[in-house]
Amino acid sequence: MSKSFQVKVMRQEKPSSNKHWETFDITYENGMNMTTVLQRIAAAPVTTDHQTTTPVAFDACCLEEVCGACTMVINGRVRQACSALVDKLLDESAGVIELRPMTKFPVVRDLTVNRRAMFDTLKKVKAWVHVDGYHDVGPGPRVSPKQQDTAYPLSRCMTCGCCVEACPQFSDKTSFIGPAAISQAMLFNAHPTGSNDRDDRLAVLTSVGGIADCGNSQNCVKVCPKEIPLTDSIAQAGRDTTFYKLRQWFGR
Amino acid sequence: MGTQTESPDTNDQTYFLVRRIHSLLGLVPVGVFLCVHLLTNASILASPDGAEFQKAVERIHALGPLLVPVEIIGIFLPLLFHVLLGVKIWLSSSPNVQHYRHGGNVRYTLQRITGMMAMVFILYHVWQMHWFGENLGGGAFKLHDEVTGAPMGAQSTAAAINSAVWVAPIYAVGVIATVFHLANGIWTSLITWGVTIRPKTQRASGYACAVFGVLLALVGLGALRGFKTFDAEAPAAHDARQAGEVTAVHAP
Amino acid sequence: MAKQQVVVIGGGLAGLAATMQLAESGVHVTLISMVPVKRSHSVCAQGGINSVNTLTRQQGDTEWKHLDDTVYGGDFLQHQPPVKEMCEWAPRIINLLDRIGVPFNRTPEGLRDQRRFGGTLYKRTAFAGATTGQQMLYALDEQVRRWEAEGMVEKLEYWEFLGPVLDGNGHCRGVVAQDMFSMEMRALRADAVVLATGGCGLVFGRSTNSLICTGGAAGRVYRAGAKYANGEFIQVHPTAIPGTDKLRLMSESARGEGGRVWVPRKPQDNRDPMSIPAAERYYFLEERYPAYGNLVPRDIATREIFDVCVTQDLSVEPGRMCVYLDVTELPGATQKKLDGILEIYEKFQGVDPRHTPMKIFPAVHYSMGGLWVDYERDGNSGGLNLGSPRNQHSNVPGLFVIGEADYQYHGGNRLGANSLLSCVFSGLIVAPTLENWLKSLPRGSAEDQSATLFDGAIDSHKQRMDQLINNQGDENPYKLHTELGDCMTRQVTVVRNNKDLRLAVETIEKIEQRYQHVHLSDRSNWTNQNFSFTRALGDMIVLARVIAKGALLRDECRGVHFKPEFAIPAPQADDPETLRAEARRWCEAFREKNEEWLKSTISRHTADGPDISYEPVDTGLINPRPRTYGLKGAEMIDEVWREMDKGNAAGAAVAESESKT
Repeated sequence: MSKSFQVKVMRQEKPSSNKHWETFDITYENGMNMTTVLQRIAAAPVTTDHQTTTPVAFDACCLEEVCGACTMVINGRVRQACSALVDKLLDESAGVIELRPMTKFPVVRDLTVNRRAMFDTLKKVKAWVHVDGYHDVGPGPRVSPKQQDTAYPLSRCMTCGCCVEACPQFSDKTSFIGPAAISQAMLFNAHPTGSNDRDDRLAVLTSVGGIADCGNSQNCVKVCPKEIPLTDSIAQAGRDTTFYKLRQWFGR
Repeated sequence: MGTQTESPDTNDQTYFLVRRIHSLLGLVPVGVFLCVHLLTNASILASPDGAEFQKAVERIHALGPLLVPVEIIGIFLPLLFHVLLGVKIWLSSSPNVQHYRHGGNVRYTLQRITGMMAMVFILYHVWQMHWFGENLGGGAFKLHDEVTGAPMGAQSTAAAINSAVWVAPIYAVGVIATVFHLANGIWTSLITWGVTIRPKTQRASGYACAVFGVLLALVGLGALRGFKTFDAEAPAAHDARQAGEVTAVHAP
Repeated sequence: MAKQQVVVIGGGLAGLAATMQLAESGVHVTLISMVPVKRSHSVCAQGGINSVNTLTRQQGDTEWKHLDDTVYGGDFLQHQPPVKEMCEWAPRIINLLDRIGVPFNRTPEGLRDQRRFGGTLYKRTAFAGATTGQQMLYALDEQVRRWEAEGMVEKLEYWEFLGPVLDGNGHCRGVVAQDMFSMEMRALRADAVVLATGGCGLVFGRSTNSLICTGGAAGRVYRAGAKYANGEFIQVHPTAIPGTDKLRLMSESARGEGGRVWVPRKPQDNRDPMSIPAAERYYFLEERYPAYGNLVPRDIATREIFDVCVTQDLSVEPGRMCVYLDVTELPGATQKKLDGILEIYEKFQGVDPRHTPMKIFPAVHYSMGGLWVDYERDGNSGGLNLGSPRNQHSNVPGLFVIGEADYQYHGGNRLGANSLLSCVFSGLIVAPTLENWLKSLPRGSAEDQSATLFDGAIDSHKQRMDQLINNQGDENPYKLHTELGDCMTRQVTVVRNNKDLRLAVETIEKIEQRYQHVHLSDRSNWTNQNFSFTRALGDMIVLARVIAKGALLRDECRGVHFKPEFAIPAPQADDPETLRAEARRWCEAFREKNEEWLKSTISRHTADGPDISYEPVDTGLINPRPRTYGLKGAEMIDEVWREMDKGNAAGAAVAESESKT
């Protein structure tokens, strides 16, 4: 007889609908992860009390934790569904796994949320290297292995939203741009060409919703699936904004 | 939240300045004052008759007519600013320590709780001890006897602390909360201002702040114990002081 | 003149490269993507991107050699001018990526580091950690975001492309797209439409591809009349971690560092693998290829693993095909070198491969085939005439195709680290092509078309949607997809034979009929993923027929298309004279095979399924020669072929240039 377990999903048909719970019995498979579980529900959307329902809407894409799509709150903790293994989740809470959408973004349907705001903040902090053009002007600036070692981890940010979901300062009570955007600002400020826009980024970080809203709970770095040193970026932003302001006051 | 549609105005740098001032005022003068105040209080332990304490307070009161403006400008106004903005920060936070349990987040939450506790405690303390509270039934601290002019700093303090059984416990809790708030505030301000960046440095500064906090708490609790056990009727305390034979008093 | 509009569909490397280059040229772009573009499948590319570089140049490497490696690796099935142009652009492309902030690994001096990849002797591959594709995609995403902030680009993310809008002349005048949240449909007028929607791995059920790689967009334009070419050329990666939802790549370096591949000799032996004694383990690669052992080339490793599981039924697990890839015996220091990839295994399997052998299986990885596109050869250079409106242009006027979605660059087999290059290259060069196309639009601009054309297009898509949503039947789309994937994976991947392929074609046709009775479990009109998937399933079935029929008809072995019935038997003799005679016969058979089959498969959609024809391949730059790696008498074959080929070379070049110009 095959093992089974339950998955409790917070459902919401539309942004205007009420939230409610539905529970599904899932037949256990070896090496199962949460995206598989949701695919199994989609193939046979019948709840524990034998009610036929609709497949659970959820975001997922690469399924190998590089695209950032399948972020959701699993057993109370935000993470990627693709790398959340059923075995480990059942160790956390025996018999039942609980799925909710992220709470810091508007719910579109079920577990699908709209994270557009995160991409918009990337625009705000000018998260790009402004080059003259795409014509051929030879190689880019030389970069030491040490600089590359610093930049690469920051550059792996998938804009998945885990950091802002876990951040107690990121909510509708503040206009905080969140750890991911601060870290991207630091990434491009450290790039030899990207640093030309350094002061523009620091101006954003010293305005409303900027670095000052960080409360140093350091949840971001704990939940980041890519283990990006977000708190290093935040502290660096603290230092850079300090000097930025001093330079402004003393006229450079 | 980040999902708000209005974008932070990069020209509005006031919020950043206000937050940095908030951080700075918490350290200087408020934090420094707390240290001085607790150390002064602890001088009660230097002489059982309260003479050292009396001397220490008199040194402060040597400012004479300047004392009130110094107190208001140097302590009360900065404190008021720190408190008012602190309440705003508290209101804008969304603590989630039930889901994300780790040191940083626990301290984040405690920083907000202890801030509120400190605010309530300080209000109570000022009402009880400071002459501001005289017309409101408080203002128990008297440096000299109004009639005889005799020193009674320790005596009046001890009387206030012993006025009810719950006063000393309130003080113990209040002092610990306030000291935690300062020690943790120093740790976060080192990040905020960009002094400590790497996790290793932040951990080291964390230990340093913890040691500082424990020591300062001991100073504060020691003083409390000193006043709690202060014997106002101790024989010839006054005479002994005049004789310069402080140590002899306790000789069996 | 009305404002000219370009619509780019797909925000992976190719789509973003095209968008940023067009924006720089002052062309406004509407970029449509099913996912926020930063989540496109390009993020999954790990290895790197090839180009001749300062270092390899000093070792004698040239763009010509890169071209040679690419077409040799592709078994000469690709037109050579676009490949030549791509290899010449490669150094410039890497420089550009470097400038826009891709964090390539560095040498101590601060220069870009390079590694060696399969199919070449040179260290041509620049890389950024183990996530080069992700890093490149992000850099391009950032550039496009900048243009978005400047108002040159409008992104429609979570929008799905439903089909092109064709006028009475079959000219593409725009697209119909649907908001995947609100399900609102919109027709966008466009003077040029660029399709950059990647591969179609989902046709095979689970693959190394992302969930969005359904081939839905390609299927939709194919149904609207676009030609699909070389569909049967599907690359399979030998070692992937079979997951319940997808197959994740396990880098070749595990075998490179000494990992051994085996299965228990007793079928589905359920003992703990560590307790199975050596005598009861079947190290099949080592036994069958004593010289190469576990380091046989990719295609051979793939075939043997497949053979052991499918033909001999020796899979480690009964319900799921897999073999052991064992690094448990490696010394700690060697295991440490593999930390990065072992951690991936541990993360997704929850098992530490340092102590338990990994379970791996080949997985569908990349589609060399795709939508047919044209090009214009430059008579002098032998490369492309850049800016020609023919480049990357499908047979539907106004519809251009780039990236993995086109068929142009990889022939019969793709070299590692060439895919990122072809994506960016085709994206960049489509920009000058479009500029010239927009300047000389035949039959006026999209703006001048009547509204009824677009309204009609929306109506027909709405009708299809209503029909599908309200369809009465009992077929579950997810189960149909699983069946389709099983059939394709079993019969149309690694080892192909006509008996199985005929069976596959029949099975797919049956699935297509059953699809008419598909039943949706969600009939709502808001974020209906059930509907979106089912609609794409229809396109997957159409592409599956193209792939399977192409494979059935192509009676030869070429690149990844391995049909043992039609393999030329390798020389067996040991005596040099006999060997020479056998090699000569081999070469003659090879020449005959090329005369018959060195052609692109062209598929056109008809109501009765794919109509397949063939087109000659432009091999005017480098004459085809045998791939003899691992073959007995390889040196002799090479020698004999060189002698035979001398007389041909001149004639072939002339013939090719005539056929193309």
